Amino acid sequence: MTARTDDTLPSKPPPVARESYQGHYAGFVSRFLSFVVDLIVITAIFLIVLAAIWFSAKILTGTNIAFNHGGIWVLIGYVVWAFIYFARSWGANGRTAGMALFGVQVVRGDGGDVNERQAALRTLAFPLSFLFLGLGFLGIIFGGRRRALHDVIAGTAVIYCWDARAARLRYLSRN
Amino acid sequence: MDPVARLRSVGERLAPPLEARAQAVAARAVELVVSSLDVNGLVDRVDLNALLSRIDIDALVDRVDIGRILDRVDIDKILDRVDIDALLDRIDMDRVLARVDVQELVRQVDVNEIAQQVDVDGIIRKVDIDAVVDRVDLNEAAQRIDVDELVEKTDLGSIIARSSSGFAGDLLDVIRGKAVAVDDFIARSVARLRRRPYTGPPGPPGGPRPDVSPPDQLRPAGLAPDEPKATAES
Repeated sequence: MTARTDDTLPSKPPPVARESYQGHYAGFVSRFLSFVVDLIVITAIFLIVLAAIWFSAKILTGTNIAFNHGGIWVLIGYVVWAFIYFARSWGANGRTAGMALFGVQVVRGDGGDVNERQAALRTLAFPLSFLFLGLGFLGIIFGGRRRALHDVIAGTAVIYCWDARAARLRYLSRN
Repeated sequence: MDPVARLRSVGERLAPPLEARAQAVAARAVELVVSSLDVNGLVDRVDLNALLSRIDIDALVDRVDIGRILDRVDIDKILDRVDIDALLDRIDMDRVLARVDVQELVRQVDVNEIAQQVDVDGIIRKVDIDAVVDRVDLNEAAQRIDVDELVEKTDLGSIIARSSSGFAGDLLDVIRGKAVAVDDFIARSVARLRRRPYTGPPGPPGGPRPDVSPPDQLRPAGLAPDEPKATAES
């Protein structure tokens, strides 16, 4: 996977790489962007579900449910949904939708697949990394194994699962 | 008494001592002749070539029974007494080889005939392919392949193009490539701040890392640059 920014200009073809970073610890930006995408996905799905509930209630009962977006039940529902989304995704194949998009994956500390228990623990520990202005994420930038606080607690790590060499071959084959 | 008989009896008495005396004189005379004879001078005067030319060598050899002679020779005993190592030490192999016309020797060898006699299948059957493959460092071999050249010179490119996805795949490659590029930029900046060499992202977890860095920047396989600090930092 390339490390050169000049290979990734918008006008240029897909970035190409001399070496594949597949299997190596993922960096902060890839992980952060994948989280942002996940946040958008779970929020969008949650809002769609709320809208569906509102629409169904209105059609079936004629009542107009007024969801207060700052309400405690909505917040609890959102947190539960987020927990299910992350825990299930990580437990199933180590990837959420955002992680799949950015080619990163959660694995065990020894490189094996994450089990359901570790996935649940990682999800529960995830908010702890946000405490103290996101101090728990500094390990991704400065740590030797690029692990955040919730990674250390759950015994996991995040790696690149994207085969940059294959992307390079695809690029070369079309040029 | 008959005078002839008397002479005969006298002769019979005198004959033995006279004969003994004559033999002693003859032996002495021969001894004196031999001692006074110059054998070397005599040999010098003999024309050996003329002498040999008069000898019929073939007839002489015909009379020799070589088989009988060889039967009496104990070859093993002779060989036991020969110090082969000492013999070989005395042989100047370079000089021997210098006198060999290798080109001529090779010309006389029918390689095709030799090859036909070789049981290639038998040899292959005896080869432990797994052991051979185990001894090959595939990672190193792969590193030597110039992928760009390979794709350009072969139809591999078209095969890859057919097997890969289209615009969506390219878009994903762009997005991921950008993210990784920024990851690397941050990692390099941090490494520069910490005055440590950066040779790419650490890892992979639980296994050796493919060697992609220069030899002077290598570290033990599977060990991140600051592995022991990972827990504390996280």
